[in-house]
Amino acid sequence: MTRLLITEVTRMGPAFCVIGLQRDKEKIHSVRPVSPNTNGWRHFPHQRGDVLQCELIPFCGAKPHVEDRVSMRGFQKDSSVSEAETVTYLKKAEIAHSLLELFGCPVHPNKSGSGLFANPPEAKRSICGTETRNLRLEFCANELRATLVLSSGEVLRDLPVVDRDWRDFIDAALAGSRGANRLGRLERFLNSQFHYKILSCPHHFIRLGLTRPFHEVCWLMLDTLFPLPKPEWLEEF
Amino acid sequence: MTSSQDAIRWPKLVQDCLRREIGPESTIPDPTTDLIETGVLDSMGWVSFLRTIESASGVDELGSLLTDARPSLESIFQALRDARADRAPLETQSLVANQPAARFRAVVTGSCMATGSRTIPSEEVDWAFGMPEGKLRKRAGIESLAYAAEGETELTLGARAAQQALHAAGCGAQELDWIIATSETHRGYPSLAAQLHSQLLARETCGALDVGGACLGLLNGLAVAQGLISSGQARIIAVVTADVHSRLFTPGRVAGEFGGLFGDGASAFLLRAPHGSEAQPSYRLGEFFFGCAGQYAGAIRVADTADGQLDVHFDGEALSRAAVTRLEKVILDLESRSGIARSSLQGLATHQPNPRLVTLLAKQCGLSLDKFPAVAQIYGNLGSSTCGAALDSILRSSQTQPPEERGAIFLASLGPGLLFGGGWLYSPRAKP
Repeated sequence: MTRLLITEVTRMGPAFCVIGLQRDKEKIHSVRPVSPNTNGWRHFPHQRGDVLQCELIPFCGAKPHVEDRVSMRGFQKDSSVSEAETVTYLKKAEIAHSLLELFGCPVHPNKSGSGLFANPPEAKRSICGTETRNLRLEFCANELRATLVLSSGEVLRDLPVVDRDWRDFIDAALAGSRGANRLGRLERFLNSQFHYKILSCPHHFIRLGLTRPFHEVCWLMLDTLFPLPKPEWLEEF
Repeated sequence: MTSSQDAIRWPKLVQDCLRREIGPESTIPDPTTDLIETGVLDSMGWVSFLRTIESASGVDELGSLLTDARPSLESIFQALRDARADRAPLETQSLVANQPAARFRAVVTGSCMATGSRTIPSEEVDWAFGMPEGKLRKRAGIESLAYAAEGETELTLGARAAQQALHAAGCGAQELDWIIATSETHRGYPSLAAQLHSQLLARETCGALDVGGACLGLLNGLAVAQGLISSGQARIIAVVTADVHSRLFTPGRVAGEFGGLFGDGASAFLLRAPHGSEAQPSYRLGEFFFGCAGQYAGAIRVADTADGQLDVHFDGEALSRAAVTRLEKVILDLESRSGIARSSLQGLATHQPNPRLVTLLAKQCGLSLDKFPAVAQIYGNLGSSTCGAALDSILRSSQTQPPEERGAIFLASLGPGLLFGGGWLYSPRAKP
């Protein structure tokens, strides 16, 4: 049995993609449990910070998704750790300080539009953590997008945000029961209070991921943004 | 642009942008076609397409306007028309020439200063420059200097000050129309304003402008910002100063009598157009005036040499005399132009070449030294950020007083040339 600290739960269409940290002697590395038939999970009731027992087949996925492992059984919750502690472990796993270090390969801007991508044969991994100097979320045409500045000063614009908790928070913010001008209020929140809450948080940290190859490229996504949103923030706007 | 011109321009622009997504040879679909449902674009391509139109049209937040709309060309045309209708009042405002200028005077809604995080006693700087211990303290009145730590630059200090000023104003960087930056030490490109634009994650249609003037830079920046706001061309502007002298004026490169005076710091001010119902009572910018007293141009000159060194000509005595005389004159002119008596001031944010000259200036002007925040004494001469640090200090101290009791603030500064300038801020609620 493998003990996995769940660090990412991302939305992938109607399913979820899950990533966790596994300790291997002194090293901590990311592992993506996938079901024998698909890459995602239609139902995943666990949270980030949960430590789960699972049975994984030691099989490496195709580049750059070398973290893939086939899960042969369901997950059993063993214990859980706090958000801050989860980030402490994430900082001991794959971490980068510059764009080039993120996936061990050049990252290219989309010349005809927005977003960034890597070429699958060049990328050495599909998930990596990093510190940011600045970060903004923007809601554009029903899509949540992030723009951020790495500690190296490099700017990554227009990354799709796939973090389940943040996407759920945005959905809740736009729920019809929340009254008038919901979009304007959300935008105002994202542009001001959100920014201060995130950047002033001592365990602010992000993880960036690569999509599965699509038209021969892998797109960058914001997989995880710590701190996670708190339901009471909805009362503030 | 008229609505008939719009009718021709938007379809072509939108079609050009769509061709960038779907390829130059592809057929442009009917305006009512759902671009995602019919597979012309996927959701990622749709966002990318909107971004391209935002950039090409100068219409921000097109995505927001289309959040609940059908992803079609027709929806985009409608959103562009709506966006243009929303903008009309601002454009109309800018054309109103006969409005009283005071109506559009910029309001200072947030400010902050940041200094290099290493505090160096002035005796250490004496030693580093090979000067007798205690020279900077005794001759110039400098007790300590703020030096940038490893990793701190004009950009990081300026960005820190700007973010905190935005925070203080409860404003997001995406609301900025312009970032105006000034620095006497930042060299190279992209310019400081452009780098700040990236670091703050301002929106693409926010302008980035660098202004010069060295120690006069803050006043130049504020005057430009005031012009943009009062003409209706901008609503919210960040003016940022940032200087890191400790890596430029180093021992061996310049004499200690010059290089030892300077510290590292930044300041930022958030200005916005008044909207009548300010939540926080804030200072407004008054008028500015500027000039250049060329007869003192030789007192300070700094230039690069062919071997990468700095050629510094610094006539300390002449510059000190000129500085005090000229600053005193600027303060006198400020009194005349504003009708505000110096005795009623909240404080003076002046250039502070060194603390001794500030003491002398206060004495010459018949003012208490308390009216001049101690910047150079603690941090050293911060260049374009000296005035900013002083102004931020006065603005903060004024917040403990009721708005009607807040006195005006005079700004007065100098730059090599000898450039000079003055301006004032006033509390609109202050009793006459």
